[in-house]
Amino acid sequence: MESEEVELEESAARPVGTGGRLLAVSVLIGVVALAGALAWGFCLGDGFRRFFHAYLLSFFFYLSLSLGALFFVLLHHLTRAGWSVVVRRVAEFLAANLLLLAFLALPIVFPVVFGNAALYPWAGAENIRGDELLERKAIYLNPGFFALRCAFYFAVFGLLARHYLKRSVAQDRSGDVEISRRLDGLSGFAMAGYALTLTFAAFDLLMSLDPHWFSTIFGVYVFAGSAAGGYALLIVALLLLQRRGRLGRTVTVEHYHDLGKLLFAFVFFWGYIAFSQFLLIWYANLPEETGWYRIRMSGAWAGVSLALLFGHFVLPFVGLLSRSAKRSRLILGFWAVWMLAAHWLDCYWLVFPQYTSRGVFVPQLTPDAGPAIPWPGLELLCLVGLGGLYVASAVSLARGCALVPVRDPRLAESLAFENR
Amino acid sequence: MSESNAGAPAPPPVVGLLAEFEAPEQLLDAARKVRDAGYTRWDAHTPYPLHGLEKAMGLRRTRLPWIVFAAGLAGLAGAFALQGYVHAVDYPLNMSGKPFLTLPEYLPVMFELTVLVSGITAFAGALALSRLPQYHHPFFAHPRFKRATSDRFFISLEVSDPRFERQAAEALLRAAGSASVEVVEDRGGTGKLPRWLVFATVLLAAVSLVPLMLIAQRRATPSDRPHPRLFTEMVFQPKYITQDATPFFADRRSSRPHVPGTIAQGELEADDALYRGKSGDQFVTRIPLPVTMALMRRGQERFDIYCATCHGYAGLGDGMTAKRADALQEGTWTPPTSLHTDPVRQQPVGQIFNTITYGIRKMPPYSPLIPVQDRWAIILYVRALERSQNARAEDVPPEVRPSLK
Repeated sequence: MESEEVELEESAARPVGTGGRLLAVSVLIGVVALAGALAWGFCLGDGFRRFFHAYLLSFFFYLSLSLGALFFVLLHHLTRAGWSVVVRRVAEFLAANLLLLAFLALPIVFPVVFGNAALYPWAGAENIRGDELLERKAIYLNPGFFALRCAFYFAVFGLLARHYLKRSVAQDRSGDVEISRRLDGLSGFAMAGYALTLTFAAFDLLMSLDPHWFSTIFGVYVFAGSAAGGYALLIVALLLLQRRGRLGRTVTVEHYHDLGKLLFAFVFFWGYIAFSQFLLIWYANLPEETGWYRIRMSGAWAGVSLALLFGHFVLPFVGLLSRSAKRSRLILGFWAVWMLAAHWLDCYWLVFPQYTSRGVFVPQLTPDAGPAIPWPGLELLCLVGLGGLYVASAVSLARGCALVPVRDPRLAESLAFENR
Repeated sequence: MSESNAGAPAPPPVVGLLAEFEAPEQLLDAARKVRDAGYTRWDAHTPYPLHGLEKAMGLRRTRLPWIVFAAGLAGLAGAFALQGYVHAVDYPLNMSGKPFLTLPEYLPVMFELTVLVSGITAFAGALALSRLPQYHHPFFAHPRFKRATSDRFFISLEVSDPRFERQAAEALLRAAGSASVEVVEDRGGTGKLPRWLVFATVLLAAVSLVPLMLIAQRRATPSDRPHPRLFTEMVFQPKYITQDATPFFADRRSSRPHVPGTIAQGELEADDALYRGKSGDQFVTRIPLPVTMALMRRGQERFDIYCATCHGYAGLGDGMTAKRADALQEGTWTPPTSLHTDPVRQQPVGQIFNTITYGIRKMPPYSPLIPVQDRWAIILYVRALERSQNARAEDVPPEVRPSLK
């Protein structure tokens, strides 16, 4: 096998600048859009109910993307991968946004602590009284314990992401191989802790929106979507960086091919898990479990569910199947952007039916009746707002760091990587 | 080479050239040269897969992915057809009211069969497209060729190639760096399977039919012994089932008849009115249980379960069973009387009890199905139904009266 020495290009090794203008613009957009969304939510006069749902949806969208990026970093270390070294730093930046997201979780946690039931019904004492199920679940689903758990989740996520980024950047200076060994060794425990933490975070933040419903595979479902979204974001981020003239020769079509393969794998995995969850509930047909799906399969939501099935699974599966599709930046980039949109639709489908139905399934006399879905203007505004802050945070984390782990012991292998 | 004399056997036919290389780079280089020279009937042989060799040889991309895709689609459609036919056409079973033809239920098997058929096709297809298994090929018989599986790389060029010209081909291969170029002759070996192998295969196939025939014979033969069981699990249990024998009693019956002169506890049933609807010889005219709304509701529930199928929900005799029997026109059906005709309305409740208990005309006895208390509840409800079809305006509760037309 030929082994050519591939030189690291200058734009990869050069530390990222202050990114002043991009930082300022994204912060501005973020703050203005969020303020606009807040004002809109106030004007609706529903006690910020819709605003909270929109905020949770956008917050969770970005949280899941960073969790997907964190998964990528942990997996890279766990498998001691060589091919992905050149793309790992960008994933580390995206994962480290979990620190920002910890703060952005406060608008969700604080109202719950003060007994506001606009988002989570169980947070309001008036909803628990008389409801036997909620009374029994109150030892877990109560505001104090919830806040404690959220603090724990974000501490775990934030500290993990920060640790991996910091040690990786430290290796840029010292070139110490021991750093890689320690991170690889830690990644086993980290992955286990990540999985458990993500599962319970999904239960607390999303599943408890309908506190009468439960699904044990819910954590895996959220993970599958997060991983797919994370890979899609990574691909988009790399393509954008290359458009700005960096990493042009470092991240080659071979790396995109592998990222495309992983994206395809998680598209399929999401479909598999989503169908598993659906099938078991459909087959058992128990009223305590089917309500959640009945809401999403009736009225206007039926169309959204169908769009999700085709948009998140069937079409990307066919689109990403062929080898040449994964090796074309245009086609792969298209599907990566598509998957980000599909992942947002997935988050929307998880959160928003709670807003229109309040968790109550009412069999309609005519199939088309039922609460209408409001046009998602407020939701998209929140998305843009949080997105601005998300981008700003990533840029600020990257300040002064190289875009590639310049002294990673496996860098040469990654630069010369060729798909067979 | 042996001189050919008159009467001596002809020299063995030349099959092609075999060029040996010591290093993989040499082989790749030579492959490119052979490809560029326009040869088509040739092959390269390496101990391990050599990356880039297919490009160096100019091989076309294989058709196998399309074959596997088609097979996968066939598996998908086949699984759907199999389940659809079994569940929706041939033997529909009501599984808690789910539709017979239903995609979520079929998907797991469809997925599995797609994967299975694709996998088997990929394996079989790869062998078939490579024209394997091949028992014999003249190149394999060449003594130096053994090293193709250990440490040497070969190019074999067949004489049947349209561009084949021995001198030019040899020169090309030597120029490409071959350590040795040898002529390969076909020294026999027919490519036919050895006779003993064929014989053994046929014998094995015949012998393998024997167990199947034994099983078929056993299934077709009646036997007075219970069939053999491999895993007895819970088949034999330490309890008696109907008509089991037991050595405990003299008559060896495990199911015992009533002891003469005794009544089991709770079965005295002394109250004639309650248990038989009779008072002396007359049918009772009052329901012998406290008449409450709860009893009425119970009667409604039980009527709907047991009686409405023939009598209809309103007692008019238009239940599903009655309609079906009517439609079948088999000549053996007596339709149920409407409960609102005068004769029925005038029957004492005890007589209705008697009818339910023992049946009448086409109606079977319902005593095994309906306990005594429920029969009286049903009778109470029947009376309410009768009242409903022969009511006056004053019977309607005041809050509902405005909705009367």
